[in-house]
Parts: sequence; structure tokens; C-alpha cells
Amino acid sequence: MDADAAKTARDSLDLAFQMSNILETGLDRHTLSILIALCDLGLNPEALAAVVKELRRELVPQDASSPSSVQ
Amino acid sequence: MEEEDQQKVADLVKELVIRLVSPESHPPIPNSSDLQSSLRYAIRLLSSRLTPSVAPDAAAIAESTKRRLATEGKSSQALTFADLYTKFASKTGPGSVNNKWAVLYLLKIISEDRKNVNSQLDSSVLLPNLDFNDAELGNESRVLGVRGNKDKGWSNGVLLVSKDPENLREIAFREFVNLVKEENEVSEEALVRDVLYACQGIDGNYVKFDTNADGYVLSELIKVPRATRIMVRKLCELGWLFRKVKGYISESMDGFPSEDVGTIGQAFCAALQDELSDYYKLLAVLEAQAMNPIPLVSETASSGNYLSMRRLSVWFAEPMVKMRLMAVLVDKCRVLRGGAMAGAIHMHAQHGDPLVHEFMGRLLRRVCSPLFEMVRSWVLEGELEDVFAEFFIVGQPVKAESLWREGYMLHAGMLPSFISQSLAQRILRTGKSINFLRVCCEDRGWADAATEAAAAAGTTTRRWGLGYGETDALELLVDGAAKRVDKHLLNVIYNQYKFKEHCLAIKRYLLLGQGDFVQYLMDIVGPELSEPANTISSFQLAGLLETAIRSSNAQYDDRDILDRLKVKMMPHETGDRGWDVFSLEYDARVPLDTVFTESVMTKYLRIFNFLWKLRRVEHALIGAWKTMKPNCITSRSFMKLQNAVKLQLLSTLRRCQVLWDEMNHFVSNFQYYIMFEVLEVSWSNFLNEMEVAKDLDDLLAAHEKYLHSIVEKSLLGERSQTLYNSLFALFDLILKFRSHADRLSEGINELQARTMESSVPSRDKSKTKKRVNDKSSEPGSWISDGRKALTQRAGEFLRNMGQDLDAVAKEYSSLLEDFISKLPMQQHVDLKFLLFRLDFTEFYSQLRPSK
Repeated sequence: MDADAAKTARDSLDLAFQMSNILETGLDRHTLSILIALCDLGLNPEALAAVVKELRRELVPQDASSPSSVQ
Repeated sequence: MEEEDQQKVADLVKELVIRLVSPESHPPIPNSSDLQSSLRYAIRLLSSRLTPSVAPDAAAIAESTKRRLATEGKSSQALTFADLYTKFASKTGPGSVNNKWAVLYLLKIISEDRKNVNSQLDSSVLLPNLDFNDAELGNESRVLGVRGNKDKGWSNGVLLVSKDPENLREIAFREFVNLVKEENEVSEEALVRDVLYACQGIDGNYVKFDTNADGYVLSELIKVPRATRIMVRKLCELGWLFRKVKGYISESMDGFPSEDVGTIGQAFCAALQDELSDYYKLLAVLEAQAMNPIPLVSETASSGNYLSMRRLSVWFAEPMVKMRLMAVLVDKCRVLRGGAMAGAIHMHAQHGDPLVHEFMGRLLRRVCSPLFEMVRSWVLEGELEDVFAEFFIVGQPVKAESLWREGYMLHAGMLPSFISQSLAQRILRTGKSINFLRVCCEDRGWADAATEAAAAAGTTTRRWGLGYGETDALELLVDGAAKRVDKHLLNVIYNQYKFKEHCLAIKRYLLLGQGDFVQYLMDIVGPELSEPANTISSFQLAGLLETAIRSSNAQYDDRDILDRLKVKMMPHETGDRGWDVFSLEYDARVPLDTVFTESVMTKYLRIFNFLWKLRRVEHALIGAWKTMKPNCITSRSFMKLQNAVKLQLLSTLRRCQVLWDEMNHFVSNFQYYIMFEVLEVSWSNFLNEMEVAKDLDDLLAAHEKYLHSIVEKSLLGERSQTLYNSLFALFDLILKFRSHADRLSEGINELQARTMESSVPSRDKSKTKKRVNDKSSEPGSWISDGRKALTQRAGEFLRNMGQDLDAVAKEYSSLLEDFISKLPMQQHVDLKFLLFRLDFTEFYSQLRPSK
């Protein structure tokens, strides 16, 4: 991966992150990068979305004391 | 490779689960049971049969996301999002995200899910049967079989539950499709195909041309909803129109050589053909489109073909307008030809709609090109290339002399309305001038003038260079050509054919402007003309004319002009004298006979006859004067007469002279008026107009005016008929007076001779004898009578003469008074001068009121 590619990747991630913020997905940068990588590997985005949703929901009752994770 | 990927996926999933399950503040305990179960759950989800329910279209997803944001009232965010998306989409190449749509879709779903979580937790209710600890599904390797899903009973359950909303919609849609299918025996695709066929004038399977309904209709036997039927009918109007237009074109083209469609008709057909080929292109595109399915957001929803009836109706909106126009034109032009056709199309082009306007303009440019080509070749070459009689100028074969006046006409019916009447006139005249030069003047110089005009008008003169809508250019061309050709024509007429010289010659000989010539002619032919008309030989008169020319200044005139001068004897009746039938004629040859036509020459002839009569009267009066000049009749020779007789003689003579004087006053003033107030003034005006004449028409008009003014002022016009009659009565009376005066002078001479003889009988005996012999036929000769008898006879003769003269004087004064009283009634202003001149001392006007 040369410098150009790295820059493009970083820019893309930035853009995706900004879009994510606008859409209020609540994903942080790192998580988003993992999700993008998985998408690129050909995983079904709907399934990935379901994972995110389910695990977060699981988190809410478990970590009721720490709301920051939801937000 | 495969394994590497799988390992990567596993690692990433693990990482993801860790990130999700444990917030950053609490570092996760690796391999804790919670984490393990979460991981298993995630893998189970990922290995499920969840497949994307949408087509992989990043743009569509971005668009829908943007819309959602916008509808939620976050328009600024929507804009930002759109902006970000375009940047994101533009990132390509190594390092960029390959599966962009997946990322976007993921973001979209997560965002939607979070909203749902926040508002209601029903999604959690929908998944009650998912057990975290389901050991059977805990196999990590399942994740790797994402694509090759195994059909397991449970996965169906998961799928159905998780996609319930989609399924509901799908079911509803399916039901609707079934319903539609039940209602329609024919699928929409089939109908669309049929409509497309019908629009090319071909019968389809279901849509056929019905001659009764005069249009394409869906067969009655096929069960379709009423709305569809109407729709088909509406769309197929295009087919009907197309049939009409196509029918016209093939009709015209098939019958082309035999029937006279005309070049303009052909151009019209060709233009229509071009428009139709555009239409064919559209139909071909539509037909191709009809085969493609509509790209819908949802893949699973079975979309119809791309073209539905409704889409078709949108596609057809514009061609329909054009086709309607064409059909209207075809209807209009069926009976029209040539220029009339172009005019009719032009009338339709006056339309506010830019589409229609532009379309008609295009059509007209094609249609008019043959017409403009005709104008061009007519104006520049004088060629009437009009095989089909379409041009607004028609030529007819005529003799050279009437070529200018009757050879070419404007055909009002063929004149398209975009060429104004005056322009048409100019076009007509220019071509006519060229043809006139070619046929009548046998001149070749016009070609140079035309070339010059073509060069001056610039590029627009090349073949097919003029088009509809360039009326200015056309006008420029026509004006340029007209100016040069007309100038050339006038040059030829003036210089080569010496128009002016001929006019002058006519004025001098026919209008008796050459005084000495007229005097000689009158002297020579006078005795001849007193004979009865049927005894006069015109050859002899021609010889006399020649003599008159030779003995007058006319001999120095151009031989060519003198050759044209001829004697003409008018058809005569019994009892006519030579005076009544004699006239001069001027032979104007081609091309001047265009100006001096038959009717013009007839007018000249009338004027000549009038002037000739006037001259004759004047001549007669002068002749009378010659014989009765006081010094011719010396009173000394009457010494031997009785006093009474002598007195009688003197008073008779005196009366005669007074009457002569009165007549001479009238005639010489009238003569003066005709010569100076009429002929010369008209001639001078004519010369001025000749100078400014720009074309032959102007010249003709000027000449016409010249002639007309002479006719009017010389009392030869229609309105002065009565005046003319009384004038002629006066002339006749004067001639009668002349014969009386001759008789008187003869009698006096005789008397003188007798008295001389009686006093000096020996002298001049032979001479007297001779005279006596001459007069021997005369009854009551005085020879044998004695002196007393002589006196008695003289007294009687003088009494008779006196009575005759009294009668003449009385008649004359009544006629003259009649004439003078009628004169002011004439409208012509110049006649006032005549009156003034005749009645200069107000003698007559004082005489009249007293009566």
C-alpha cells in the first residue's frame, strides 16, 4: 500500500465517518473502519447492521449503568 | 486466499464484537463468557441467510437517505450528506472503499435501527426465539459460508421474522399483480408492443386498424379494463396520423412522373419524409426500451418492462404534436400546388409555440427551396424554370411587341404570402427586362449586369443559397439585379435604339412640329387631296411626301428616321375627300414598338388628324388672304364702275376681310395654344421624366402621360367631345368661308378683267380669251354682256356674296360663342389660358352678356 492509497483510504474513512455522524449511527471511527473492512470483504451489510443492533441492544440492559456506550 | 480472507473476517468480527460489547472506558476481559457468547451470536447472525434486499446501487441509497433527511427537516444536513457522498463516490483506485454501496447501506440501516430502538423496542420483540446459548449454531465456520447458505428450518424462521415489513409489501404487491393479471387478458408489455406497431401503421396482435371507427382500436374480444382501452385508443391516434401522412407521401411519390406533383410538392414530401425518419428513430429506441425491465430499488419486486402505457404517452407527447401538424398540412396541401402550397404552410407557421414555429420553419426551408431557386434563376438569368406551373410568374407565348406588356404575368394564386406584392412586382419586372433584352433587343450585355448583381448580393446567390425566412436577402438580391438590369435596359433603349430621337421624330413629323416641312407638304398635296378619296393613289402621295422632305429642312434628318415615315390612307367611304383619309405614319420597329404600340399609334394618328386639320384651316386662311390682300384688289380699277356697285363691292370686300380677320385671330391663337401650351410643354415634361425613369415601366408611364396630356389638352379626350365637335364645326365653317372668299375674289378678278377689257380691249386679249375659255362652262358668263348688263351682274353677284358672307358671319359668331361658352366648363387648367388668349380684349365676354 503506497502513500496515495493510504491517503485515499483515510479520506474515504473520514467521509464515511462524517456521513455516519450525520446519520447519527453512534459508531465511533474504529468500529466504522472495521465495518467498512468487513463490507469490503463481501459480508452482507444487512447482517452486519443486525449484529451492531443486536449487540448494542444487549449492551443496554447489561450496562445500564454506563449509558455512554449507547451514545 | 480463501482461508486468508476467512481468517481476516473472523478477526475483524471478533474485534467488532469487542468494540461493541465493551465500551472503551471498561477494557474488556478477553475470553470472558459474555464476550464469547456475544461473538457466537454475531457469527450466527452473520452466517444467517440474510441477503441484501436491495439492488447494489449506491447512488439510489444515497438519494433515499438524503430524501429521508430532507423530509425530517434536516435540509442542511441533507445537503452536507449529498456533498459528502459525491466526494466519497469519487474516491476510486487503490485504498478506496470498494463496496461503497454496502457501506452506505450499512450506515443507513444502523441509523434507521437506532431511531427504532429509541422510539420503540419492537425489533427486540420480534426476535424472542433467538437464544444466545444455542450451541448448535455456535460454529464459527458458519460465518464463512455466507454465500452458500444451507437450507435449514430455523433460518427460514429468522428470515421471515426479520424481513417481515418487506414481506408484507411483497405479498400485497403480488396480490395486486394477480388482480391485474386476472383483469387483463393481455399483459401490458404485449399492449405496448402492439401500440408501437400501430404507430408505424402496422396491425398488431390485439390492436388493429378499424375502418369503421377510422382508427386503431383494441379488439373488442379482448378483456381489458376500460381505462386501458381508452389509453390504447389515445396512443394510437399517432398511428392514425402517421398513416395519413405516410399515405400522402407515397401517393405523391408514386404518381410523380405522371401526375404533376410539382417540385414544391416533392420538396414538401421530402421534408415530411425527413421528419418521419426522426420519428422512426424514436420508435426504434422505444421498441428497444420496451424489452428492458425497469431498474427498481427493490430487486425482488417484479417490475414490469421499462415501457408502460403511461410512459409511452409521455414519450408520444412531442411526436404527437408534430404528427398532428403534419397531418393538418397534408390535408391543406392535398389540393394545393406550388407557391400556393408554400403560402398555405407559411400561414401555419405563424404560431406562438416555439416548437411548432421551429418545426414549421424547418419544413418551410425545405419546401421553399425550389421556389427560391426559381426566383433566383428568373431574376438573374431570366429563365422560367417552371415545368409544373408552380411559380408565381407565368409566361405566355406572345409576339415580340407585346412581350413586355403581356408576355409575363403575376399569378396571384401562386404567390406565397411571405413575398409581398411589391416585391413580386419587382421580381416580375427584373426577369421581364432580361427577357425583353434577350428577345426584343437581341442584347447580350444583360448577363454582365446580372453577374454584377449576383456578386453584389454576395453569397446568398449561390444555388440553393436562399431560404425561407431570408426575405431581406431575397429583397436585396432582387433590388440589386433589378437596378442593374433596368439600367442596362434603358441604356440599350436610349443609345442603341435611340428612343429619344424617335420620340423627337414623331413629334416633328406626326405632331407637325417641323413647320417648313408641313408647309411644303400642305402646298404639294393640297390639290391632290381635294380629289375624292377613291381616286387618290397612295404611291403618288408617298412621292409627294418624299418631295416635301427633300425640299424642307427635314432632308438633313437621319435617313433611318425618314425611312420610317410613311403615308397612310385610312379606310374611306364614298364621298370622302382626300383630306379626310390622308395621314402620316411612323414605323416604330422592335423593340420600340413596345412603347409605340398599336393603340399608342392610333392616338398619335388622332392627334395628327386634328393637327392636320388645324393646319389645313390655317393654310386655307392664308390662301384666302393671298387672294384678297388689299393691294391685290386695287380700287383704282373699279373707277369705271357705277358708284353704287363700287360701294357695294367695297363693303362686301370689307365684310369679308373683317370676317377673315376674326377667323384668323381664332385659328392662329388656337394654333399657338396647341403648339406652345400643349405640345412643347408636354414634350418638356416628358423629357424630364425620361431623365429620371429608372426602368422601362417608368418610361412607358412617362410616355403614356405625355400622350395623354396632349390628347386631353387638345380637346381630343372623352370629356371634351362636345367642344371638339363645335371646334370642328368652326373649322368646317372656316373652310366654307374660304371657298366663298375664293369665289368672291374670283368674281372680283373677273369683274376687273371685264372692266379692263372693255376699256382696253386690245390688250391682253389672248390672255383674257384663255381665261374665258377656262370659264366657258360657267353659266351666266359676262363676256357677251354689255356694260350695263355687266354692272347689273356685278351688283347681283356682290349682293349674293354679301348674303352668303352674312350667313357665314352669323353662323360663325354663333359657333364661336358656343365654343367660348363651353370652354370654361373644361376642367383642364391649360384651357383657361386658351380662353384668355382668345378673349384677350374681353370682346367676346362683353358681347355675350349683352345678348
